[in-house]
Amino acid sequence: MPPADSGRKGPSSFGPWVFVAVLGLLLLGQFVYAPYLTSPALQTWSTVFVAICVQALPFLVFGVLLSAAITAFVPASFWTRALPKRAALAVPVAGAAGAVLPGCECASVPVAAGLISRGVTPAAALAFLLSSPAINPVVIVATVVAFPGQPMMAVARFVASLVVAVLVGWVWLRFGKGEWLRTRRHHDHAGFAEAMRHDLLHAGGFLVVGGMAAATMNVIVPREWLNALAGNLWVSVLALALLAVVLSICSEADAFVAASLTAFSPTARLAFLVVGPMVDLKLIALQTGTFGRRFAARFVPLTFSLAVLVSVVTGTVLL
Amino acid sequence: MNRLTQSLVLILLGGAVLRITTVSNEYLNYVKPGFRYFLIAAGATVLVLGAIGLLKKEDGHRGPWVAWLLTLPVFAIFLIAPPPLGSYAARSEEAPARPVGALTAYTPLTGPVSAMTIGEFLGRAWGDTTKSLTGKKVKLTGFAVPSKKRGQWYVARMQIACCAADAVPLKVAVLGAPAPAENQWIEVTGTWVPPRAGGPEPGTVAPELDATDVTEIPQPVEPYE
Repeated sequence: MPPADSGRKGPSSFGPWVFVAVLGLLLLGQFVYAPYLTSPALQTWSTVFVAICVQALPFLVFGVLLSAAITAFVPASFWTRALPKRAALAVPVAGAAGAVLPGCECASVPVAAGLISRGVTPAAALAFLLSSPAINPVVIVATVVAFPGQPMMAVARFVASLVVAVLVGWVWLRFGKGEWLRTRRHHDHAGFAEAMRHDLLHAGGFLVVGGMAAATMNVIVPREWLNALAGNLWVSVLALALLAVVLSICSEADAFVAASLTAFSPTARLAFLVVGPMVDLKLIALQTGTFGRRFAARFVPLTFSLAVLVSVVTGTVLL
Repeated sequence: MNRLTQSLVLILLGGAVLRITTVSNEYLNYVKPGFRYFLIAAGATVLVLGAIGLLKKEDGHRGPWVAWLLTLPVFAIFLIAPPPLGSYAARSEEAPARPVGALTAYTPLTGPVSAMTIGEFLGRAWGDTTKSLTGKKVKLTGFAVPSKKRGQWYVARMQIACCAADAVPLKVAVLGAPAPAENQWIEVTGTWVPPRAGGPEPGTVAPELDATDVTEIPQPVEPYE
C-alpha cells in the first residue's frame, strides 16, 4: 500500500494551501481587522478563551506525554500485575491511585485513554480519570489554603470525590457496554512521537471547543443571578454544580472561586468542588473527542448526578 | 488534514506560546507568573513535535479535522492580542468578592503613605479588629471602573488563582476625586472612610476611600493581584 499521504498531489495536498491562506489572513489581519476587534465584551471573551487554552496546554502536553509513555514503554503485563484481578477491586485501587498524579483534568483524559489501550479495565481507568484531578495533593493543598480555618472542606472534598469516582466505576462495570467506548485505533507500530502528535491534535482541538463554550458562559452569565438562588439547599447545590460545569475552571484553582461564593452554604460550595473536576464543558468536549459521543452521552449525566448526590450527603455529614 | 498541515499547525501553536512567554510578557494577561516555564516547556514540545513531522517522511495517519480549531487561539493571540481583564469584567455593582487569604492579624501601618494591594486593603477594612487603617494614608494601584452611584467610582484589580477564567474583581470605592477615563490605570492616595454605624455589614459593599491624589500610570507588567 502506498503511503496514505504522499503530501504533494491529489485532494490531500490542499491542506497546506489552506494553511498558507490562514497565515496570510493572520498577517493581513494584524493591520486590517485588529482595529475593529475592540468591543469590551469581545475582548473579555477572547482573554478568557486564550487564558483557558494557554493554562490547559502544559497539562495537556504532560498528559499526552505520559499517555504516550504508557503506551510505548510500559508493557501490558505490568497493569495486570499492578491492579487486582477482580475488576470490582481494581476500581477503588485505581481511584485511590488518582491521588498521586498531580495534574488537572486536561491531563487525566489522555492518560486514561492510554491505560485503556494497554488493557486496563475501562471501569478502573474511568475511576482514575475522575479521581486524579480532584484528589491529588496539589488540589487538596489549594483547597486548604483557599478555606483558611475550615480544614473539613478539604477533607469533605477528598472523601466525596473518591466516593463518586469509585461509584461511577462500579456502575460502569455493572451496566457499561464495551461498544459505547471508542478506543484508540493506534497501530502498534505508531511510535512515541507519532502517538503524541495524534493525541495532541485531537484532544487539543476538542479543548478549544470546550474553551470557547466556557469563555462564552463566563462572559454572559452574571454572577448576581446566582445569589438569588442561595437560599434553598437543593436549588443552591444544583446552581453551583451547574456553575462548575459552565465555568470549566482548572481543578487547581476552583477552590479559590468557591471560597469567593460567600452567599452559598458549605454544602453547595462542596458540590462546586466535587462536580468541577469531573464534569465541565472543556472536559465534556475532551471526553467526546477521546472516547466518542455515545460514551459521553452516558458517562457525563451519570457522573453529574452521582457527584451532586454524594456532595449533599457528604456535606450534611461532614460540614 | 494531511501530515504537512498537521506539522504546520503544531509549529504555529508552539510558536505562539513561545512568543507570548519569551519575546513578550503577554502570558501575564492570562495566567500567573509561575506558569512561565511550564508554558515554555509545553510550547517547545509542541514546536518540536511539529518539526519532527516536517523532517520525517514516513507515512502518517490523516489528522482529525478538529485540529484546525487549534489555529483559533493563535488567531486570537495575534489578531486581538487579548488585553488583561478590565472594567468590563469588574463592572458589577454587586457585593465584591472577599479576597483570598484575608488575614485576621495585621501589622500596624507606619510611614506617611503605605502602598498596599487592594486585597490587603479589603482585608484590613473588613476583617481587622484593630482598625489599623483608621486615619492612615494608603496608596492603591488599579484601573478605573465607573459606578452607577453618584459621586464615586471604583479603583479595581482582578485577582486570579490560576488563569483569567477564575478572576474575581476586588474593588474600592473612591470619593472626592473626578473619575478618570474608564480602564485607565491609576495610583490613588487617600484615607479609608470607616463605615457609618447602622450601615451595611462589612463585606457586603465595597469599602470607601477618600482620595487626596489620583495619578495616571501605565499598565503594570503584572496586571493581576
